Amino acid sequence: MIRKYIALLRMKYIEMLAYRLATLVWMTGAITQPLITMVVWMNIDPAQSDAFIFYFMAVIFVERMTSAWDVWELDREIREGTFSNYILRPLHPIHWAIAENVVYKALFAAILAPIWAIAALFVPALRFDVTGGQALLFLAAVLFGAVLRFLLSYICGLLGFWITKVTAVYGVLEVISLFLSGRIAPLSLLPPVLQQWSVFLPFRYMIGFPIDIITKATNGHDMLQGFAIASIWMVVFIIGLQWIWRAGLTKNQAVGG
Amino acid sequence: MRRYIRIFREFFRACFVEELEYRSEFLGNLVSSFFGIGIAILTVNIFFYQTDQLGGWAYADVLVLLGVFNTLRGLIDFALRPNMPRLLEHVRRGTLDYILTKPVDSMFYVSFRHLVFWRLIDVLLGLGVIGYGLMVKRYIPSLFDVLIFLITIAASFVLIYSLWMMLMTTSFWVIRIDDLSFIFDSFFETARFPIGMYRGWVRVVLTYVLPAAVITNMPALSLLGKWDTATALIAVLLALVFLWLARRFWRFALRFYTSASS
Repeated sequence: MIRKYIALLRMKYIEMLAYRLATLVWMTGAITQPLITMVVWMNIDPAQSDAFIFYFMAVIFVERMTSAWDVWELDREIREGTFSNYILRPLHPIHWAIAENVVYKALFAAILAPIWAIAALFVPALRFDVTGGQALLFLAAVLFGAVLRFLLSYICGLLGFWITKVTAVYGVLEVISLFLSGRIAPLSLLPPVLQQWSVFLPFRYMIGFPIDIITKATNGHDMLQGFAIASIWMVVFIIGLQWIWRAGLTKNQAVGG
Repeated sequence: MRRYIRIFREFFRACFVEELEYRSEFLGNLVSSFFGIGIAILTVNIFFYQTDQLGGWAYADVLVLLGVFNTLRGLIDFALRPNMPRLLEHVRRGTLDYILTKPVDSMFYVSFRHLVFWRLIDVLLGLGVIGYGLMVKRYIPSLFDVLIFLITIAASFVLIYSLWMMLMTTSFWVIRIDDLSFIFDSFFETARFPIGMYRGWVRVVLTYVLPAAVITNMPALSLLGKWDTATALIAVLLALVFLWLARRFWRFALRFYTSASS
């Protein structure tokens, strides 16, 4: 299995290098919206400017670390029929997607972390001071977020066996997540009703939760609760994925045969 | 001029017939347009949950601005977006050669050949939001306000067209960049909010280099009755200058174009 993964990772790495310009363009696009939102908040509450700078830079970082694009790929592959090639192979197709995610995110981390470090030299607002334990908890939360987003994206993608507009469905989820994950505002600034919803839905754990840990906006109890809820969602998603995968294969064979 | 209007009408008809074949798409598009504007209004509401002004603009003013933004985006998606990325394809595949041999102005042809009608819903929705904003503010624009609004928003459209055209014309040299229009979108997003919100060099850039300030803020201010003749004139002048530049740049690029086959 490990040998297979090394081969997969290498393949995905080469593939990515071929599209590096496109990757760069997408990265530019991904930072615009958080930057504009940041400016809006700095305008609303100038006294908190530094906190907002840190928060939205963290949003960009965590967003890149957890972002999932598998729904677009699956949608295209299922529609065009190329997905069948993956089904025929002995390795479950999800491993290709996992390898791709690992490669991209490792690269983003390798680019973004030094940029952050250098920027922190010049912008005091970007400096932070956490214990090793907190840093580990942050990284764990980012990992949880990445897994949750990946699973959700993959589940939506597999819906492509039944419906043709899966990207539209996923688009709606993305918009809900815009508010409930903390991308449009730190969750503490949302109206109380939305805050309440955000605690129990999975979206917060994809972006806002890790940032709350690194900015020390959560206490021990909230953190424990957060990890617990995120874990429950993860289990739900994994069960859902397996179920939908089996049902999808049956459906696919029915159409193909 | 008459001839070009007639050709445009012909493009219009051809695209309309084409679109009628996909009638079932209409409902989905309608829903997504309503959804989009609803989200935008919700976002503004979240901001105003914590404040009562944004860059010196009150809630109703920002709604009018949002309406102008949506109207313009609808117009862009109707006429420009379907065409601009195709230019990259034309250059890459060498089909630009065919266009150059046609007895129509090539810049006109590549700009307006394809139209996407359902995006006009966004224009209507944008106008609706403008109306709603004015209602919240309880302000009825005078005839002059509306006139200046029409002039400035036309100038905005010309300005956007010229900027995008120049960006796309660079495809003659850098044909490998996959999605230049994505960069344009990122820049256009900044026009969603009052310019007074931005500080320092960002504001200078958005006012003078990439005139987001002119594109959405000016038409919105006109409707709110806060226009003055000088700035309106400057907007029109700016639009004409940029159009002229885009045209010159297109001509210049064509001289460098040696078709893909050679």
